[in-house]
Amino acid sequence: MGEEDKEGNRGGEGFTEGVGSERKRRRRYLTGLRIGRDLEGDVRMSEQGGGRRREENEEGNHGGGFEEEAGEMVDRMLQIITTSTTTSTSPPDRDVATEKTLSKLSILTRFHAGYFRISLSLCGQALLWKTLSEPTTDAHALRPIIRMLPSAAFVMLWSLALFTLVALCLLYAARCLFRFHSVRAEFAHHVGMNYLFAPWICWLLLLQSTPFLRPHTKSYLLLCWLFSLPILVLDVKIYGQWFTKGKKFLSMVANPTSQITVIGNLVGARAAAQMGWRESAVFMFSVGIAHYLVLFVTLYQRFHGSDPLPAMLRPVFFLFFAAPSMASLAWDTISASFDTSCKMLFFLSLFLFASLVSRPALFRRSMRRFSVAWWAYSFPLTVLALAATEYAQEVKAEMANLLMLVLSVLSVLVTLVLMVFTALKPNDLLPHDDPFLCSNLIPKA
Amino acid sequence: MSKTTACFDGAECDSGLACQSPLATAVTSQGDPTAGKGKLCFKFVEDDTYFMNGSQVILSDDHIDIYIPMCWPIKLTVASIQGSETPRIQSQANSIKLPPPQSLVQANQCQQSNSISISLPASPSGITIGQAIKVVFGDAAGSAAIDEQLNQPSDSTISNSRAAKPGKFHSRSIPAGSSYGKAAAMGKVNGPLADQQRMPRSYSSRDKRFDSFKTWSGKLERQLSNFRGKPQEPDVEANDSDISIEAEAVPAVDRYFDALEGPELDTLKASEVSALPEDEKWPFLLRFPISAFGMCLGVSSQAILWKTLATSPSTSFLHVSLTVNFVLWCISLALMGTVSLIYSLKIIFYFETVRREYYHPVRINFFFAPWIACLFLALGVPPSVAENLHAALWYALMAPIFCLELKIYGQWMSGGQRRLSKVANPSNHLSIVGNFVGALLGANMGLKEGPIFFFAVGLAHYIVLFVTLYQRLPTNETLPRDLHPVFFLFVAAPSVACMAWAQICGDFSYGAKMAYFIALFLYVSLAVRINFFRGFRFSLAWWAYTFPMTGASIATIKYANEVTNVVTQILSVGLSGISTFTVTALLVYTIIHAFVLHDLFPNDVSIAITWKRTKLTKKLAHLRFASSDMKDIEASISGNTPQLP
Repeated sequence: MGEEDKEGNRGGEGFTEGVGSERKRRRRYLTGLRIGRDLEGDVRMSEQGGGRRREENEEGNHGGGFEEEAGEMVDRMLQIITTSTTTSTSPPDRDVATEKTLSKLSILTRFHAGYFRISLSLCGQALLWKTLSEPTTDAHALRPIIRMLPSAAFVMLWSLALFTLVALCLLYAARCLFRFHSVRAEFAHHVGMNYLFAPWICWLLLLQSTPFLRPHTKSYLLLCWLFSLPILVLDVKIYGQWFTKGKKFLSMVANPTSQITVIGNLVGARAAAQMGWRESAVFMFSVGIAHYLVLFVTLYQRFHGSDPLPAMLRPVFFLFFAAPSMASLAWDTISASFDTSCKMLFFLSLFLFASLVSRPALFRRSMRRFSVAWWAYSFPLTVLALAATEYAQEVKAEMANLLMLVLSVLSVLVTLVLMVFTALKPNDLLPHDDPFLCSNLIPKA
Repeated sequence: MSKTTACFDGAECDSGLACQSPLATAVTSQGDPTAGKGKLCFKFVEDDTYFMNGSQVILSDDHIDIYIPMCWPIKLTVASIQGSETPRIQSQANSIKLPPPQSLVQANQCQQSNSISISLPASPSGITIGQAIKVVFGDAAGSAAIDEQLNQPSDSTISNSRAAKPGKFHSRSIPAGSSYGKAAAMGKVNGPLADQQRMPRSYSSRDKRFDSFKTWSGKLERQLSNFRGKPQEPDVEANDSDISIEAEAVPAVDRYFDALEGPELDTLKASEVSALPEDEKWPFLLRFPISAFGMCLGVSSQAILWKTLATSPSTSFLHVSLTVNFVLWCISLALMGTVSLIYSLKIIFYFETVRREYYHPVRINFFFAPWIACLFLALGVPPSVAENLHAALWYALMAPIFCLELKIYGQWMSGGQRRLSKVANPSNHLSIVGNFVGALLGANMGLKEGPIFFFAVGLAHYIVLFVTLYQRLPTNETLPRDLHPVFFLFVAAPSVACMAWAQICGDFSYGAKMAYFIALFLYVSLAVRINFFRGFRFSLAWWAYTFPMTGASIATIKYANEVTNVVTQILSVGLSGISTFTVTALLVYTIIHAFVLHDLFPNDVSIAITWKRTKLTKKLAHLRFASSDMKDIEASISGNTPQLP
């Protein structure tokens, strides 16, 4: 289409075309950079993996180029990210045995909060299926499918989500214990810090979809507060950073993952509203929506020098429509009816969904290799499907039901595909060259 | 019809396009050293037509232009020219004699794709032919014999030169259409004679300077000649390939900002050159901008205003007749028909121009104008014509708006360099207002969910745009420094949003009132800075800036219906008067410019910028490109290497 597609996807097509064009392209750049080396030999070398190191240095230089634009701290992170591969990739000639032990040891190092995307998706699915199977939900077309599945299936799904979440939380707790410096580095990182909200969001979602607890029981209340408090604490920390602390002002650190902070507030508001605590629900909702407004405007403006989101993380763009959907769900629970403002929020998220889906070029570069970032597709779709379900309940039109059906099926399919990918490619899930490897986020002394 | 042939004994050279003799040059087509000397022949088919090796030679009264569609290292001198009858063309170093009609010599069939232009100045005693002679080389149809010796190497030449072409011509400016463009691009060849490019052309040749903007130039003719079984004219093919090169180059938004200035990005910077001749009038269609739809916006919104004046209870004391609405509506319908007809002709015949307008960061917003104008027409439809419109009309009108929004808002959010912090401009309001107008019409029609959808989308993006425009970010290059009529678009969105929300809710609730007061405040804050229309060049786009005033007055009437007292009634009458007065004044202006000054449609330079970039930006872009690609390569390599356990 336009220049922006090409721009956003610079070089993206090159790899789909095949190795030949890749080589050509490479050669062009190398020529462009006036590297006085034997090009052929260089290409050959890098194809065998040997020439990688030099490229990484190139990238390091590139990362250094940002330095003028961004603040010092953010910059530091950036540079580390872009050069991360240098430290993390291991030369192929290294002993395999050493490699094995290393990888076992480094599993904690290579783990980071971004992996909570998986449990986020699963918990979202659990909530979606719970909502669909509720007797109050008038799931026209889905009724036969839901009836076909035994109720144990939902419990299974919920248990799977719980298991994943517990496992991830344990891993992360271990990481906090043994790799505290990486956790701190992650907390200082503009993408990483947002994912610290994710475990609490997962717990809240799981709590809402739990088949065992009724919302008005004491334990529900206790758990709800237990999971909401960290969100509030993180809110104070991060939103405070935005408007007070020197170098982390919003125009520099804003990126699509920042919307997770908003989603956290909205999920908390929904959970609070479900157990009847309307005032605290409104409190969390208003905090969330006010910052969402600021964030939305800032993200749309896309300041120069504030877009350090690597192409690999492009799937998190889907969070753009997760936030308004979640807001619509939260307001629906607070006001006890799917009113016009809920509809408006839902429609906004539908539009953003259409807007993102109509630019597949944006995601092409991230789709080249499976990574945990892919899991970011699933959760927003699930939230959108949830909002569509509520909308269909309110409107009761054929189109609304169709929309609900399509979105639910889509979100389930995406989650299934992701699960299959994860099962098939466990190696890609914990790659050695993850740019968000937190050991690389530690500022070097 | 005379048959004339000339034989050039050509000698080829190894590399470069540098011709030793800038004046007299001829061309062979071989790239193969073994081919040795090649003979180039051209055949005098008609009095003014020469064909040679896919080259075109234009002989005019005082000048000869030879266009040889070939991009191959050549360095040739005219070795021998025989002839007696034809008059001599004297040049400083060499002379070309056009030979008499002796024999039909071999003509090459090879067709190349790029051209070299050779300009030969003729002495005053040059060709005495009163009629200009156009020479077109390489017509294979007429040539019986084919020089096999030349044919083989020239084939390889073709492929080679084709492969080399994109690199050669990419982002090169082509200032004056096809052949002339190439002539300039190959400036080395004509060297000192480059200034003689714009010579009177032969009568029979088309004006080719606008060809790169034409949709059908060459293509259609080629198809026709193919259809007739005639082989293509290489000249035409060269044209065509040239266009495709031009079309390949995706215009970067930075280029527009670099080359243009002014609040509407419609004047060329002093340092830039236009791709089209600036000193003469272009074809009308090229000068017809998309902002002409602003006229439809202005007039059709007037029709709505007069309909509201006639039907509202708060203004019933004015006793306005519905006839005014009917007349205005008919006028706007006719205007809409005319403008869309002309613009669709432009789409058909000058698609490249439309494409350039589409990539123009300000003009793209005007692509909403036709649809908004249609929505206005539907809103202002006289009760005598239709009471209830079918809902399908709404869907049909909103579909293109929805698609354009996907495009534009998507660009803001995630697309390349068109970030909002860079392209934000008051005219972006046009892309927002469509939502509210659509919501208003849909709610008027009795639809439920659709209007809310567009209202929600519009509101969210309006907030974004409003904040961004108020911030006046230093990165916003197009924000007018001084006041400009374009700022009136600020009033449009809240006033239409107020009506839409009132219609959706069914009563003039607090939300609608808040939107109305915002609109009123913006209106007043603009109106107090009254010295507006001074010092600006009149442009057709001003029409688009009148509809916000009209919208504000309609909103005032709606508000007066809710809160009826003397103040609101005075306000509604006053604002309606102002908007009608403005539209009338603009009409007078337009008539003066159209019929007295004849400059209603000046040359639209914003579509004629060259894609050439300055060296610095090129370098920067290259670096960026290179580094991002490095990342790609790295990623793919690490993806391909087997993961160690």
